[in-house]
Amino acid sequence: MIDSTIARITARGLFGRRRFLLLLPLPLLLIGLALLSDALGASPRAWAQPILGGLGFGAVLPVIALIVGTGVLGSEIDDGTLVHVLAKPLPRSQIILTKLAVAVAVTAVTVGVPMVVAGLIAGSARLGLGLAVGCAVGAFAYSALFLALSLVTRRPVLLGLIYVLLWEGLLGNLLSGTRMLSIQQYVTAVAARVGDTQLLAGRVSVPVSVVMAVVFTVGGTLLAIDRLRSFSVAGETS
Amino acid sequence: MSSGVIHDIGYQRYTGPRLGRGYAIRSLYLHGLRTAFGLGRSAKAKIFPWATVGIVAMVAVVLTAVRAQGAPVMSYAEFSVSVALLAILFCAAAAPELVSRDLRGGVLPLYFSRPLRRTDYALAKLAALTSAVWLMLAGPLLLMFVGGVFSVHGPKAVWNEVLDFLPGLGQAAIVAAVYSSLSLLVASLAGRRAVAAALIVAVFVVTAPVVGVLIGIGGPAARQLAFLASPSTVVQATGVWLFDLQGMDIGSYGPVYGLAVVALVTACVLLLLVRYRRVAQ
Repeated sequence: MIDSTIARITARGLFGRRRFLLLLPLPLLLIGLALLSDALGASPRAWAQPILGGLGFGAVLPVIALIVGTGVLGSEIDDGTLVHVLAKPLPRSQIILTKLAVAVAVTAVTVGVPMVVAGLIAGSARLGLGLAVGCAVGAFAYSALFLALSLVTRRPVLLGLIYVLLWEGLLGNLLSGTRMLSIQQYVTAVAARVGDTQLLAGRVSVPVSVVMAVVFTVGGTLLAIDRLRSFSVAGETS
Repeated sequence: MSSGVIHDIGYQRYTGPRLGRGYAIRSLYLHGLRTAFGLGRSAKAKIFPWATVGIVAMVAVVLTAVRAQGAPVMSYAEFSVSVALLAILFCAAAAPELVSRDLRGGVLPLYFSRPLRRTDYALAKLAALTSAVWLMLAGPLLLMFVGGVFSVHGPKAVWNEVLDFLPGLGQAAIVAAVYSSLSLLVASLAGRRAVAAALIVAVFVVTAPVVGVLIGIGGPAARQLAFLASPSTVVQATGVWLFDLQGMDIGSYGPVYGLAVVALVTACVLLLLVRYRRVAQ
């Protein structure tokens, strides 16, 4: 299922560049703000929703998932080095599953660790667990979606940004119907249920969230495998 | 015995006019402006900029239509702030297109072997992006203005309309200056367009909830100064100060926000110049 060589190359492609360090301020900002709020003596009721919900699940998780999820395959497509991977006698499904596993792991750890720390600052280990599960669910759904996007279009990041900013950010607050297709809402609902907390409030019911998150993950993966099977190699175009 | 002969095959020096530094800057600016909108590029490169422009124009048309039925929904100055999200997306598409491709392609030495200086390159690109963002806001504003002029009666009312319209252009200019300088700086740090686009949006999206947090935990003064935490709210708060926008309580800290805009743009431009002093030596 998972090819260790491809996993190693993918991880090195992500971490081996200086640009990955540019992502580091995001998790640090999360912990720093939680510490600051706690030090100022504000109750978690006041800061948990904006920091954990607004910043963590609303901004840091999708942005990191976007950069990682489109980066694992997209950078190789841009470079044209994907040919070397495709030329090896490996099933395409194995390539996708490996890339997806790396993307999920990196995203879940990069976002999950600061979220758990912030959850512990906010109160309980239970909340921390809930946030960790939420991050894991989000990492799966977002990574599969963005991995599929990087194979469907030449500009996956811009489309992903439209999804995160316009669909989840703007329309999710205006039109209630769009929430049914918003990963951010699934993540919040699952985290609130597992963490057994009133600090976060999901607007989509938990069973729907779980089912839809699975649909996004499986659907994205299958679409990515299908697109990679008939992938045509081309250089960077305008 | 040597049989080598050198023939004169008529190589000549170029003696015509040399167009110089100013011409190069102007060309780079114009080319950058066209690139931002995907003009002279393939259809694919046009989709994104024109989609954002189209949505902004659509919002303007809807607002004009609503206004023709009754009272105006928002002032011209508020318009730029309310479509700021689309301006961010426009920047995320245009800024990497302007600078990241040159970085990735390694063509900067070719630019710098011309009379063009390093600062010229950076400033021409910045001017192009600022103009592009301003145009993408000012175009729909003009549409609203024309609609507004035809829905009022009498020269006095038209003059009032003009007086409303000018602050709108001013607010659009503030948005354009802040957004473009910040996003061009971020884009100049990343060679891949995709990464640059994500980082630009990250700067705006991640700082926005910080404002909410500071308002939630801070005292009265901190609450009025909390909008300094995000570039998009700094722009909006400056509009509150200069053009009486609604929806933000900044108390008497208006000049602080004005200063913050100037400081932010100056810092971004200086950092951009520093970046281009060192890149591709």
